[in-house]
Amino acid sequence: MSQKNIFFTLVLFLIGASACEDDFIGRSPLYSIDSENYFNSEADYQNALIGAYDLLQPTYLNVMVGEIASDNTLAGGESATDVIGIQQVDDMIHTPVNAQVRDIWNWMFAGVNRASYLLEFKDKTEFEGREQIIAEARFLRAYYNFELVKWFGPIPIKGDERFVLGDETSLPRASKSEVYASIVEDLTLAIPDLAVTAPQTGRVSRGAAQALLGKAYLYQEDFAAAATVLTEVIESGNFSLNDDFAEIFENTGENGPGAVFEVQYTDAEGAGFGCLQCSEGNVAVGFNGIRNHTGPTYDSGFSFNVPTEEAFNAFEPGDQRRDVAILDIDAWAEETGAGFGIGNEHTGYYNRKYIARKGDSNIGDQNLTNPNNYRAIRYADVLLMAAEALNATGNDEQARNYLNQVRRRAFGDENHDINAGGTALAEFIQQERRLELMGEGHRFFDLVRKGAAAGAIDGFTTGKNEVFPVPFEEIQFAGGNWDQNPGY
Amino acid sequence: MRQYIIIIALILGWGGLAAQSITVTGTITDATTGEALIGASVIVVQPSSDGPVLGTITDFDGNYTIDAVPVGSQLRTSYTGYKTVEREVPASGRVDIALGSDVQALEEVVVIGYGTQQKRNVTGSVVTIDNETIDDLKPVKIEQALQGTVAGVNVTTQSGAPGAGLNIRIRGVSTNGQNAPLVIIDGYQGDLSTVNPTDIASITVLKDAQAAVYGTVGANGVILITTKTGEKNRPTQLSYNTYYGIQETSRELNLLNATEYGLLLNESYAGGGQSLPFPDASSLGVGTDWQDEVFQSAPMLSHDVTVSGGSDKTTYSISGSHLSQEGIIGGEKSNFERNTARLSLGVDLAEDLKLTTNVIYTNIDRDALSENGLGAVLFNALNAPPTLPLLDENGDFSLVPNTPGLGIEVINPAAQIANTFNDYDLNKLNGQVSLDWTALPGLTLTGRVGFNTSNSESRSFAKEVSYGGKVFDVNRSSVSQNGINDNNYSVDLYGTYQRSFADQHNLTATAGTTLFREVGNGLFATGFDVPNNDWEFADISLATGTSPEGVRDVGSYSYDERRLSYFGRVQYDFKERYFLTAMLRRDASTKFGPENRAALFPSFTAGWIASDESFFAENGPIDLLKFRVSYGILGNDQILNNGYIGSLDGEATYVFDGSLVNGTAIGALPNPSLQWEEAKKFNVGFDLGLLNYKLNVTADYFINTRDNLLISNIPVSGIVGTSAPGSAAPTVNAGAVRNKGLELAISYQQRFNKDLKLNLSYNITTLDNEVLEVNNGTGFIEGGAFGVGQLAPSRMEVGQPIGYFYGYQTDGIFQNAAEVEAHPSQIALGADAQPGDIRFVDVNGDGVIDPNDRTNLGDPIADMTMGFNFQLEYKRFDLLTYAFASLGGDIVRNYERALSDVNRLDYYLNRWTGEGTSNEVPRVTTAATSNGVFSDFYVEDASFLRLQSVQLGYTLPLNVGTARSSSLRLYVSGNNLLTLTDYKGFDPGASSGAPIGSGIDYGFYPIARTFIFGANLSL
Repeated sequence: MSQKNIFFTLVLFLIGASACEDDFIGRSPLYSIDSENYFNSEADYQNALIGAYDLLQPTYLNVMVGEIASDNTLAGGESATDVIGIQQVDDMIHTPVNAQVRDIWNWMFAGVNRASYLLEFKDKTEFEGREQIIAEARFLRAYYNFELVKWFGPIPIKGDERFVLGDETSLPRASKSEVYASIVEDLTLAIPDLAVTAPQTGRVSRGAAQALLGKAYLYQEDFAAAATVLTEVIESGNFSLNDDFAEIFENTGENGPGAVFEVQYTDAEGAGFGCLQCSEGNVAVGFNGIRNHTGPTYDSGFSFNVPTEEAFNAFEPGDQRRDVAILDIDAWAEETGAGFGIGNEHTGYYNRKYIARKGDSNIGDQNLTNPNNYRAIRYADVLLMAAEALNATGNDEQARNYLNQVRRRAFGDENHDINAGGTALAEFIQQERRLELMGEGHRFFDLVRKGAAAGAIDGFTTGKNEVFPVPFEEIQFAGGNWDQNPGY
Repeated sequence: MRQYIIIIALILGWGGLAAQSITVTGTITDATTGEALIGASVIVVQPSSDGPVLGTITDFDGNYTIDAVPVGSQLRTSYTGYKTVEREVPASGRVDIALGSDVQALEEVVVIGYGTQQKRNVTGSVVTIDNETIDDLKPVKIEQALQGTVAGVNVTTQSGAPGAGLNIRIRGVSTNGQNAPLVIIDGYQGDLSTVNPTDIASITVLKDAQAAVYGTVGANGVILITTKTGEKNRPTQLSYNTYYGIQETSRELNLLNATEYGLLLNESYAGGGQSLPFPDASSLGVGTDWQDEVFQSAPMLSHDVTVSGGSDKTTYSISGSHLSQEGIIGGEKSNFERNTARLSLGVDLAEDLKLTTNVIYTNIDRDALSENGLGAVLFNALNAPPTLPLLDENGDFSLVPNTPGLGIEVINPAAQIANTFNDYDLNKLNGQVSLDWTALPGLTLTGRVGFNTSNSESRSFAKEVSYGGKVFDVNRSSVSQNGINDNNYSVDLYGTYQRSFADQHNLTATAGTTLFREVGNGLFATGFDVPNNDWEFADISLATGTSPEGVRDVGSYSYDERRLSYFGRVQYDFKERYFLTAMLRRDASTKFGPENRAALFPSFTAGWIASDESFFAENGPIDLLKFRVSYGILGNDQILNNGYIGSLDGEATYVFDGSLVNGTAIGALPNPSLQWEEAKKFNVGFDLGLLNYKLNVTADYFINTRDNLLISNIPVSGIVGTSAPGSAAPTVNAGAVRNKGLELAISYQQRFNKDLKLNLSYNITTLDNEVLEVNNGTGFIEGGAFGVGQLAPSRMEVGQPIGYFYGYQTDGIFQNAAEVEAHPSQIALGADAQPGDIRFVDVNGDGVIDPNDRTNLGDPIADMTMGFNFQLEYKRFDLLTYAFASLGGDIVRNYERALSDVNRLDYYLNRWTGEGTSNEVPRVTTAATSNGVFSDFYVEDASFLRLQSVQLGYTLPLNVGTARSSSLRLYVSGNNLLTLTDYKGFDPGASSGAPIGSGIDYGFYPIARTFIFGANLSL
């Protein structure tokens, strides 16, 4: 071969090879589904809906930290530096740098975005039953947005599409009333399309959406609207108070007659600290659990969220709810011979509704995989919300009726009925909310919306602590687009 | 067929040659000293091919004798480190040859990627380690041979466990992503961690823009491995090496004994207002030494055998090896075994067509224990109370009590070892075939196919076990198994054209293409309820249970990544005095988004051999003075696959009707404009040879700037939902890091006389790392973990070294209440301070101590590393020493569980117990304190000096003077005999290797101190 021919061959080869480049490099990824080319069948919608439900499980943190923020419980834990973010919230010294508050922000927005993903493609493929799925997605978005507005006040909202990078520097934080308006809109659209009885246990029913709507109205002090929709839930007859208050918080009481909406957890799958939001179990239950417990009935845990003596003593004599809501560990140890350890801020009390029970599979990490459902909206809560709304709109009689339904169950008699009216009745209703819902994460937000937080919570600064700070990082990402909440 | 021809030729040739042949004798000496050279090779160059190899090796007096040599044939003499000389055999039969010393070391050929170059002409920063260094150091893994031997290359161990990974960093940590250099084995992309060190002939490290010929994969530097081949016209040589070693821990920490522990706890409880746990502490004695219970001396054994040789047209090298090493913790529970087999062949198919091929089979079997984390064996050994016996009264492992003071993570480490069961097996085949065709004088075309194919299987058994309410309790036994296939191949086609013009202009041009593809998959599964709760039955086929409905006990992944590259290189020199090289490479890769699919990487190097100039005296002390400079742009594509496509690989799992249901959700967010990291490398240096090359100095100064750092999971606003299960933020090109440093290597070699030879070498590297850009909104990226539930301790932040430690600065101990009163409140850290607590500095001066007062507490990057090597040969004895030092790095002591009842290091004996007692170590108390937050109290100087190897050998000559001169060398060696450091922990040299979050010590498995007895037999 001559010199020329060889070079010619080489050049030809290189040209040939470069022509193949697009074929060679332009391969599709193996076994992967493109997120932008989805929603082509009913199954796709169903699958995406499961993704939207998934973020309900991380709300364990909202419940736990929300309770710790209130006057009901202290942070506890192993030491004063154990999960410092939670300790700071307890002492109302939290700052924009707080890992747990940031988690709540991140996880709830993740929920918003997963619901919005489905809503973004809501019209892509037609099939029977689509409305139900869309309605569930709307409920979930409303649920997550409600959590966000409770915690952070004004937040960005975007309608039926996902947030994308760059929105943080362009979208404003919508005012609280705008956020509530979007929550009301989502729920109002969802209610007619939702089945009265949810298609599966754990999915949202029409009553759940109505109850959440009523709660949203209540938080805006639109009492008339709240009264209307909450009364509808009550009068639907789909829910009733469990006879046995204690039963509600046991495994056998899950999804019972009083369960308007429950966040579902299971002990079927393991979990790790690296991704707490990935756990299918109720992480709060392990955190709340009795430190170093050895004995019957309960598994051990990390002794967070320990009730104060004041909370324990808030129950009247004869109130059966006290020993359901709060475990007196010394009495328990004496009674059963159980052992326990002493953690930080040990009060001698445990948040009994949500501490680890024996009997689950204890799959690793057993503290993160407790199966206790979170009773997010209980019928008793609906009754008390309705009572509050009715009292505020002048219908004290019906308000007392609903309030006393709750009290009669608590005391097992009618001797403890409330007969007051007007603002006195309003006070009773709030006190009843505290006792009925002790340990369930509502107290802090009830105190805030009633303007009573400063009087009840040590360290609470009016005009600042009503909402939590927007995470420091978010303010930075927003690059001046968002202001920090006042006082932080 | 071919072998028959050889045999026939052998028979015929022998008879035919004998008639006209003579016996040749002579002495081979060193030209400068005149001393005899022992073991020099003397070979008769056969005029015709396929003849038998005729030759020998000189004896202890440098003499040789070869019978039946045809008069007039050429005698070739070679000796490692000397110039090879050919002489014609005269009728007298006497040939004495004096070999020129050392100069030819520069004529040594160095591989530089897609070609070779004479060392003298190399203008990049290139360092070569030969197999002698590897033989000296006896590394179990080849990475160890680079530690301390090459300036600018830092090797850290992830753990001292047998078979544990090592991290190589060439000129520092340049990225928060993958920092490992590219490894090229005989021209194809390979993996260093599985190579048998004794199969390696040389290692070449390309540190600067010289590596630019590797374009988008060369940014972290390139390590070129050349495996052993046979030599032409060499009689068959057999070498057998074996050693047996005893390993023990290089360090044990000074923990409190039971009495000291009891007294300390009493004080702690009293301080917290609680009753004393040990009212009669003096009766506790010394108690259990948990380190003694977990550390043991462990054997290691190595054999390798190599047969090599060659005829005029063929070369071959065949080897096999076996290594087994038990761990100093857990013995065979952390066992490592490696078996390898290798075949290398070279055949001249025709005068202008050469084929080389080799293939390596590797089998690795490794078992491992939990390491370097909360719950690692050593973590438990350091924290378990010494008052607890190893076994309880029933003879079972005693349980660490489930109390708040001991937490739920500390368990009996001996029980943990006994209950750990796992196994990892790797089978791997890798090799290459290449064809060199000298198409025209000066033009060589090379085609090469290289491949790696490996299959690994892992199995781990979670035994149903109770540690008494600890997080490591297993309620249901399970066995997890996986099978992983990783395959890749590369195809190279390139041509090299070499020509000289007018005897002054020398030109070498190389151009070609490389295609690289890697495909693989992994399959994972778990079975529950293992029969008899026994490792013997731990296989999914026998396990009877599954997870509850909806839980997926299986998983898999697949990948297919491709790269297509073109490259060109022109090397020009004038009079071999002025050098200029220019390189250009273009890469297209599936790693990058469609918007940035292909990249161009240009670079150049230049050199000037000043010592060739006329103003240098011909016979002056300076033999060589070469100045070098290089600049180039390289890339790094080591990022996640398919980062530019949004795919539904997030986690979507919820509970409907009481059972888990699985759906779909978005995974990591895509970034369509994803592109390579860009490394801009500048290097300037010189090489100096003095006193007949007895003294050699190489110095380099470099500035490497890495732009467009691929920051994966870049922190972004949470509103886009990246915190959802299985989701992640996109990978974005958003950072920059600069490394600057100075490298100096000095070597001195002197042969004083026939009996005494000395080699000394020393190298030092300085490194200055600074993050120039983190464009993610917050200006920093966090990583690492300290304690439990604390803020991340490590950061990558502009203006700071990558991975620096970020925490509270301390200012001694509060001595009294007045001092506490005078200081800003520390309540925001968790508890109000009391006398005896650590005083934290109000860095920002705002009158409170809070997370905003955190600051730079040091960084894990050593400012300076150095290596020292000393070799002495006296008569038949040889002595060698390697040492390594690392100065100026920091390490975080994170193996102390911050609980009241765990055991502690003995520095707590010097704690604060009242005013004026200590200003360093805080009080002990069960009450709440902020003393456990991440502060400089936990950051220590990680500087150390380590004696890596000391070896003494004695060589026995066998059959001296015969055609197969042979020898037996016996030696004793000690590895890691001594480590000098102020660090309190096990091993200041260990590191996870993570760019952000390394240097945090949860109880690193210390490197073993090893005593070795070995033999090298050469026949």
